[in-house]
Amino acid sequence: MEIQGYNMPEELYYEENHFWVKEEGDFLVMGMDDFAQTMAGEIVYIQLPDDGKKLKLGKKFAKIESGKWLGKVYAPVNGEIASVNEELETNPGLVNDDCYGTGWIYKIKPNDKSEIENLIRGKEAIEKWLAADIEKYAEE
Amino acid sequence: MGKKYDFEEKYREQILQCSRCGFCQAVCPVYGATLRPALNAKGKMLLLKEVMDGKIDLNDELIETLFQCTTCANCFQNCPSGVPVMEIIKQVRKDMVSVGSCHPAFKGMNEVLKNHTNIYGENEPEDFERERNKKAEYVYFIGCVGSYREDESTMATLNLLDRLQVDYTLIDEVCCSGVLEDVGYEINDALAAKNIDRILHTGAKTVITGCPYCYRTFNNKAQYDQLLKEGIQVTHITQFLQDFDFGITTDKLVTYHDPCDLGRHCGIYEEPRNTIRKIATNFIELPANRENALCCGAGGGVRGAYAKNSIAMARRRLDQVEEVGADIVLTECNSCVHNLANARLRKQKFRIYNTTQFINELMEEAE
Repeated sequence: MEIQGYNMPEELYYEENHFWVKEEGDFLVMGMDDFAQTMAGEIVYIQLPDDGKKLKLGKKFAKIESGKWLGKVYAPVNGEIASVNEELETNPGLVNDDCYGTGWIYKIKPNDKSEIENLIRGKEAIEKWLAADIEKYAEE
Repeated sequence: MGKKYDFEEKYREQILQCSRCGFCQAVCPVYGATLRPALNAKGKMLLLKEVMDGKIDLNDELIETLFQCTTCANCFQNCPSGVPVMEIIKQVRKDMVSVGSCHPAFKGMNEVLKNHTNIYGENEPEDFERERNKKAEYVYFIGCVGSYREDESTMATLNLLDRLQVDYTLIDEVCCSGVLEDVGYEINDALAAKNIDRILHTGAKTVITGCPYCYRTFNNKAQYDQLLKEGIQVTHITQFLQDFDFGITTDKLVTYHDPCDLGRHCGIYEEPRNTIRKIATNFIELPANRENALCCGAGGGVRGAYAKNSIAMARRRLDQVEEVGADIVLTECNSCVHNLANARLRKQKFRIYNTTQFINELMEEAE
């Protein structure tokens, strides 16, 4: 689905700081959404924690940096890092090129997968949330 | 007849002194990462000769070459002809700006510092859970990178000062703005005046900073002369810490990366090593160290303007860490920590710290 020029797939879950989450078997896959990667510009660094790093819902666990911006990544659920996209170590620009595909970032093993139901989901909710953020960032 | 550009007026003879021997190429971090001869000092001097000969003009086409220099001074260190490359580059960048050809990142930085307190244009500084602007014996001046990019390291540094019972205060600091002089502009007088006022307000007689660039700016730039006149000493934290006894040691294999701004630019090589030897029973030098240290690639605005190449430069430095097999890399500069940590690959298991952060961690573990 396209919202004001941003590609926001309707079937994904979204964490409020503009990271998408989707189910993949027992795991969750996470990446940056189109709005975030567009606003950030060329991504130059993505912190990729070691496998097994514990994640606590809502707590910062990594940093992402573009030339002009430093973003913090917050855990969308409780769990741990199962693996990361190691391609991003040498080619972080994949996030800009294909944020929902080859630019995925983290694979998470959740303690309780149902926690993703607390994330932003569904056409109406996504539209409302994104429209508010577009307005917010336009003011800054 | 006057010269067309100030760099020619000031540095014509020095530019012509370049004998094109290429010693600079062997140590240039930008060349090392890109393998483009135009980007090392010899290439830049050749280009400037063409400008002086009237064959080409300073214009946008030269931005990538002339703005891609970390001003690490390793070329100058190794130049048999003594060409003061960093001074020439800084002047050329000013000439570029005056003809309207500047890298957009640096133009942006100059604009940002007209309206913000820091080079990142951030509005919400970390408070570091400490009262600011109080009366104290020392001011601890963090710097932009320590405040907005390496806040965990800064927090550890402040915790260490607390453990050592140092009577210090933070201030509502603003960017020292020294970096503007490196990228074609001038130090922002308003920012300098704010820092001076806020330092004087605390009654402190010494400013300690963890940022080698702020240290250089406060000590060497006319805009901060008032500090000296008021009897304020500005010291880098590595100088401050060398007389302390920390009561802890590690047997991990530790190495040290000399920041260019602290080493080649200020001649501070022994103080960090004095401290590290006290805490690390196994210390090993990197293959290129002290005045020959390989730049991490963060300086001269290169991290902001050419981030990919900057990280590639840091990876070359980390290759040297792998070579010596160190467990711990210590340095004394938040920009170096930031760039080296960003460049570290997951398979590289060594850890990168400011010395203060590492000492604090050891002391915390010992408690």
